[in-house]
Amino acid sequence: MSGHENTGVVRKEDMNIPDEERIEKGPVVIMECVENIPCNPCVAVCSFDAVKMKEITDTPEIDFDTCTGCGLCVTECPGLAIFVIDCSYSEDKCKVTVPYEYLPVPEEGDEVMALDRKGEEVEKAEVTDVRKSGKTYAVTLEVDRKNVWNVRGFEVIG
Amino acid sequence: MSEKRIFDHPVLKFDRGQEFYFEFEGKKIKAYEGETIASALYADGLTKFTESKILERPRGFFCAIGKCSSCIMSVNGRPHVRTCVTQAEENMKVERHGARPKFPGIDVGRGKEIKEKEIEIAIIGGGPAGLMAAITAAKLGSEVHLFDEGSNPGGQLIKQTHQFFGSHEEDAGTRGIVIGENLAEEAQKLGVNIHPKTKVLGYYFDRKVAVERKGRFEIYDVGGIVYAGGAIENYLAFENNDFPGVYGAGGVQTLMNEEGIVPGEKVLMVGSGNVGLIVSYQLLQAGVDVAEVIEALPTIGGYQVHASKIRRAGVPIQTSHTIVKAVGEDEVEGAVVHQVDEDWKKVEGTERKIDCDIICLAVGLRPDTSFLRQADCEMEYVAELGGFVPLRTEDMRTTTKGIYVAGDSAGIEEATVAALEGKLAGAALHEELNEEDEETKRLKREAKKGLEQMRKGPYGKVPRLGVKTCTVDEEVCG
Amino acid sequence: MTIVVCRCEDVTEEDIVEAIEEGYDELEKLKRHLRLGMGPCQGKTCMLIARRILGRETGKSVDDMDTPTARPPSQPVPFSLLASPEECEEDE
Repeated sequence: MSGHENTGVVRKEDMNIPDEERIEKGPVVIMECVENIPCNPCVAVCSFDAVKMKEITDTPEIDFDTCTGCGLCVTECPGLAIFVIDCSYSEDKCKVTVPYEYLPVPEEGDEVMALDRKGEEVEKAEVTDVRKSGKTYAVTLEVDRKNVWNVRGFEVIG
Repeated sequence: MSEKRIFDHPVLKFDRGQEFYFEFEGKKIKAYEGETIASALYADGLTKFTESKILERPRGFFCAIGKCSSCIMSVNGRPHVRTCVTQAEENMKVERHGARPKFPGIDVGRGKEIKEKEIEIAIIGGGPAGLMAAITAAKLGSEVHLFDEGSNPGGQLIKQTHQFFGSHEEDAGTRGIVIGENLAEEAQKLGVNIHPKTKVLGYYFDRKVAVERKGRFEIYDVGGIVYAGGAIENYLAFENNDFPGVYGAGGVQTLMNEEGIVPGEKVLMVGSGNVGLIVSYQLLQAGVDVAEVIEALPTIGGYQVHASKIRRAGVPIQTSHTIVKAVGEDEVEGAVVHQVDEDWKKVEGTERKIDCDIICLAVGLRPDTSFLRQADCEMEYVAELGGFVPLRTEDMRTTTKGIYVAGDSAGIEEATVAALEGKLAGAALHEELNEEDEETKRLKREAKKGLEQMRKGPYGKVPRLGVKTCTVDEEVCG
Repeated sequence: MTIVVCRCEDVTEEDIVEAIEEGYDELEKLKRHLRLGMGPCQGKTCMLIARRILGRETGKSVDDMDTPTARPPSQPVPFSLLASPEECEEDE
């Protein structure tokens, strides 16, 4: 068995993701929240009403055309399961925004080690933005286009 | 790691009070105002708190919430003091007394009678369930007294540094610590008489509550009770399971998140329910290494989002794994684990040693119901709710008149459910003691609806079944 | 090999298995025979494991097992608290 129930790692096919066209268009949210847990802060925080739930135990239903990829929900999710990817950034680079609650906190321009869903090293990446809401940071990394579906965390180097 | 106190933390700020010293077996020990004796000693490097009386094996603290009694010492000559729930004070004299403390001198009584105090509603326990019960009953106009063992109400919320799940209206997305503070403040504003550092010693018929408060024995004659005494950490059987270094997950949280002291350097987490996953994450945040998380079942017990969080930090989660031994001279220096098959049998050749100095047990909680059993409440074993729980009506009333239950004592669920049950019990008890009114009915409906919502979905299936098993009709409940 | 069930009274798994073989096949009997659960924590830590062992050794289901009596005081208190009562001061 290799599902998230056994590994704690979600696969792309488990998730509800936008289509290719929307992904190439610009920043968009990726919610790696695949179970029916009773939780809904992402619905309440969205200023664009792009996230919907009928029951609190539903998984978030996202209107990807309404979503601007603003990332407000990244720091709001108690499960730290929300990311923003931006594939319109440049020819060979994409941006990935991840939630972060460890020390030390990196600064814009720092080089960090980007990690995948298993905590394995992917590539060295530059921090392009650090935003704070409450005690949670949303850190944006510039990564290789081929790694946009792998990078979901990072480690400060040194 | 020589300094065990946490100074920099991504979420928590430890506002330590005044620094002072107390005496431990002739040695000066540094402590900060608000720290418990056990924490100050642990920060100083002490791991062996007492000694067992037959096997003479060392005992470290285990639960750190005043239940397991593995941290008892003599304080200013008084033996059997649970140092994990007793605050350190300047010049206090603390000694280990092992299993055989000296008999203390007794202040001979003056023979005065104990006067009973009459109060309307007693809430026992200051966690989310107790606080919400108090708030709700007080809001409706009842006279409410809340008894809590801790220095500050909030129960186990105070060590929940993560943002809460659940519905936005019920404080989801807010950190547990903040929820606890907010609830306590609201209760205070509504005129709830909060009695901190008060131990509830027992129940006497008819509806009398015995407490130790400010060093005195007091008896309250009450109109009604909401019991919200919480839960007890489960223990696990394996070789050397009593070594100092084998701690309950709640104990580790208390030490780390309330007292700001790291338990050790490298932790093996046993159990992958939400508690195991969340505490693993909190250990990482405090800069402690988590070697791995093991789980006896074939699948991870907690939410995928919590599991993913620690996987991203590189912590492996091994399902179908069990611990068989704590390794070391007389405290934890490692652990032996192996894989199990579908019949819980060992898979030969899978045994291996894990390096760690802490084994953290996150193998579940069970309801603390001793008070309710003293009150003759009928109990039933409900595996889905973590053990023996009282039979109750839809309104959370037990089979003993005037006694209600809420929170983990009614069945192990999470904090939002506890708060909603508290709200329901508080309103229902107010209704029992007073005339019916619309507002009370509305609050009850609101709480019931909230509970129904929270128990939907696949994760709600187990508690839903459990609650169904122990909920009985008004007539059956007497 | 030491597997501790009751941390307060040093009752091991082996002790319980032996006692069950000798005929102490209920929790209340085990408690009286071994002092299981009679230490300062009053059975808060050990009863779950004891119950499991009893179930495993006798085939009893948990529903069929009695629960030892609970009585005050639920926590350790000094004798003086009960022996020298003073009048409660009125609340400030």
